[in-house]
Amino acid sequence: MKKKLVSVILAASMVATMMAGCGSKAPAANENAGTENGEGTAATTDDAIANLIAATDKTVELTLWCNETDAYQTVIRELVDEFEETYSEVDFNITIGVESEANCKDDVLADVEAAADVFVFPDDQLVDLVNAGALQSIDATYTYDPAKTNAATTVEAATVNGKLYAYPLTASNGYFLFYNKNYLSEEDVASWDNLLAAAEAQGKTVGMEVSGAWYLYGFFAGAGLDMYGNEDGTNTCNWNATDTKYTGADVATAISDICANSAMVNCVNEDAQSFALNGEMIADVNGTWATTAFQEAYGDGYAAAKLPTFTVNGDQVQMGSFAGYKFVGVNAYSKNTGWAMLLAEFITNESSQTKIGIATGEGPSNLVAASSEEIASAPALAALAAQSEYASLQRVGNEYWGPAATLGQLLVEGSYTDVQQILDEAVAGITQAPQ
Amino acid sequence: MKKYFTDFGTAIAKGDIWTRLSLLVMGAGYFGRKQIMKGILMTLIEIGFFVFTIRFSLQYILKLNTLGTVQREETLDLVTLTKTVNDYDNSLLILLGGIIGILLIVAFILLYISNMKTVYRLQLMKENGEHINNFAQDLRELINGKFYVTLLTLPSIGVLLINIIPIIFMICIAFTNYDMDHQPPTYLFTWVGWSNFKTLFTSTTTITFGYVFVRVLVWTLIWALVATGTSYFGGIFLAKFINHKMTRCKKLWRSLFVVTIAIPQFVTLLLVGKLFGDYGIVNSFCNQIGLTAFLQDIGLVGKGLSYIPFLSKPGWAHVMIILINIWVGVPYQMLSATGILMNIPEDQLESARIDGANDFQIFWKITMPYILFITGPSLITAFIGNINNFNVIYLLTSDYVTTNMAFANSNAKEVDLLVTWLFTLTNDYSNYKMASVIGICVFIICATITLLSFTRMIAGNREEEFQ
Repeated sequence: MKKKLVSVILAASMVATMMAGCGSKAPAANENAGTENGEGTAATTDDAIANLIAATDKTVELTLWCNETDAYQTVIRELVDEFEETYSEVDFNITIGVESEANCKDDVLADVEAAADVFVFPDDQLVDLVNAGALQSIDATYTYDPAKTNAATTVEAATVNGKLYAYPLTASNGYFLFYNKNYLSEEDVASWDNLLAAAEAQGKTVGMEVSGAWYLYGFFAGAGLDMYGNEDGTNTCNWNATDTKYTGADVATAISDICANSAMVNCVNEDAQSFALNGEMIADVNGTWATTAFQEAYGDGYAAAKLPTFTVNGDQVQMGSFAGYKFVGVNAYSKNTGWAMLLAEFITNESSQTKIGIATGEGPSNLVAASSEEIASAPALAALAAQSEYASLQRVGNEYWGPAATLGQLLVEGSYTDVQQILDEAVAGITQAPQ
Repeated sequence: MKKYFTDFGTAIAKGDIWTRLSLLVMGAGYFGRKQIMKGILMTLIEIGFFVFTIRFSLQYILKLNTLGTVQREETLDLVTLTKTVNDYDNSLLILLGGIIGILLIVAFILLYISNMKTVYRLQLMKENGEHINNFAQDLRELINGKFYVTLLTLPSIGVLLINIIPIIFMICIAFTNYDMDHQPPTYLFTWVGWSNFKTLFTSTTTITFGYVFVRVLVWTLIWALVATGTSYFGGIFLAKFINHKMTRCKKLWRSLFVVTIAIPQFVTLLLVGKLFGDYGIVNSFCNQIGLTAFLQDIGLVGKGLSYIPFLSKPGWAHVMIILINIWVGVPYQMLSATGILMNIPEDQLESARIDGANDFQIFWKITMPYILFITGPSLITAFIGNINNFNVIYLLTSDYVTTNMAFANSNAKEVDLLVTWLFTLTNDYSNYKMASVIGICVFIICATITLLSFTRMIAGNREEEFQ
């Protein structure tokens, strides 16, 4: 019995990876076919595509993983149909799989040879995917140039060590403030002090997952303290600094003060949504994935703004945040690398991004698509745009998340005696070398 | 052991031409005694083994010492959009293929030796003029006299495939550096000796595995003990109450509790987890009736909290998990206890009553020993099951954030069992090497407990002792 249990666990956690080896090791199927066409003098894009079409004689099997929501699935299906029409000379069999972006890295890395050829993933998974060798580097593009059409920050976010590893798709994966303008004015939402005072006066609440490492970052970053990942997988962090303009202890105390307010609720996304629905919560720090829920909850009072300022040592300091993007990546183990790259290019080009933006309410990374009337007018995206100048790129080593969440939880509860000591401990944990 | 090899030696020394030919072609000995079918089968096995080893597993076995040296490199031809990949090593495949290959070689050597002995025995039988079975007679024997062999074959293969190979595999991983930075197929991992075990027992400011391991282990054992004990006695008492002659609608009560089994456990657990969440229904109710404030006043709930941390603070969460587990676990025990209670020999109870024992005495002196005796083995199973009770812990504490930096540094939580910790390490942090080390510890603990208690329980003629 006991052996069986151990092996069941093994099966759950490891055997999945073992099977990674069962996939075929064969390199790209049409390796030989390319040589005869390969000697073209100018590597023009048309040549490359023509070469690829000429070299393809079998049905091209591709799998594409994207978000599980209906909006995503429908619009991607349309785009894939368009893609097949564009290259009508070739027979495609493109399967669209359902994959929540948050789990994309885990599922791709569980068995990279069996994972989809093309997948949509959030930018925070980029470094891990690159480190595991799961992403095809994009050394050339054939139908458009991502570096020119997308916002520079998004391209930078998709680049590791000077190499582009993914096609930017959306630029709206960060966080900002949703609020109900029937209760709160624009002045109220400008600072945490006003926001909490207004909410308290009306007997309502304000939400933010302060104990979430991802959100907690905003306070420290806003006050000018550093936390970023290094190339070797460790982090650099000075949240315990005592010689900066605002010391780590100042910021930590400010966070504790905010959380001590009776109107402040430290809660995760689902809880916040249900509080907003029953009318208790009139503002919440959250992201575009919650747009529909807050629209429904606040009705005509629905509004969004950049994150508020908070008081450190008597000064008003603007909160920072992590900017978030969604990328389309090509599996380095794809058997049809060429077609996978073209498909990824197709669903991230300007017209596709516009369609996806309209269908899902997310903000395109393509500059032209993002400025289209229909998309730019959405309150959530406008708020994100306003927040974007205070947002920073998320390049974080894995050791950040545990200790930072614990720090957040301690600050929320205020259950510490020496603030400098918990900051020191947290920084030691965040900056430790991976074991 | 010695006899094992001398028998083999005798077979070679005293064997005739057919027997000696079997050293080369395993079926030869059978051909010589006109057991053609058996000879063909044996020879086919031999050929199959060599083909498999040479074509498949040998390449892995040869690389086992390094676990591969050639890292994957790929080049994409930007003009033809085609890709070339070098002939790279996959450490995981090498390890797995190597283990299977070596196991097969061991199995083959055992078969080879026993084959020689069988062939020699055939030779002796022939010399003594005894009857030698033909193939059909052999087959008939397999479903008659030697039926146990037939019956045991499939389970043995199953044990080998789903138990032995994964366990050896896991033990090997614990001695490698297979983690986030060394993930096949793109990257190689290699042997690192005992260093992972050292890490597990190290406690510094940042490496806190030693600190965390002891605490997680203690909680795992406490949990297993209390969880097993509470559901066990809870189930027996419940069965006893329902069985009592004064209880009406016995079937109704029994069915009500069985219904809790009918609902999938993880649905129940997720739901209960939400009910007792920081902002769940129970908490808002407690808030309204002022219980939260009262608990804060007497110091059971921290001042900084606006809710009762049922599942989000050590202490509270530990107790709640055990309580919730009683609800999930008791119906099972109740069912099995009901069956046993109905089977207690009535004459024993009768004579006890005549001797003037009261209900309480009868329960503790007769009923309980009887139940304990019968359910002993299943009690151990339940205990081991609880050591590895992933569902309850994982589903109830998914929102738990630890406030102890030492736990956070090792990616653990105060409420983690060894198993859930192992899961977090593999699933969220791809730290397979440390997970394997923990896996080995779990295995050793479970194996020791099972072996010790089973040998104690089954040792001697306990059945008579009980009577």
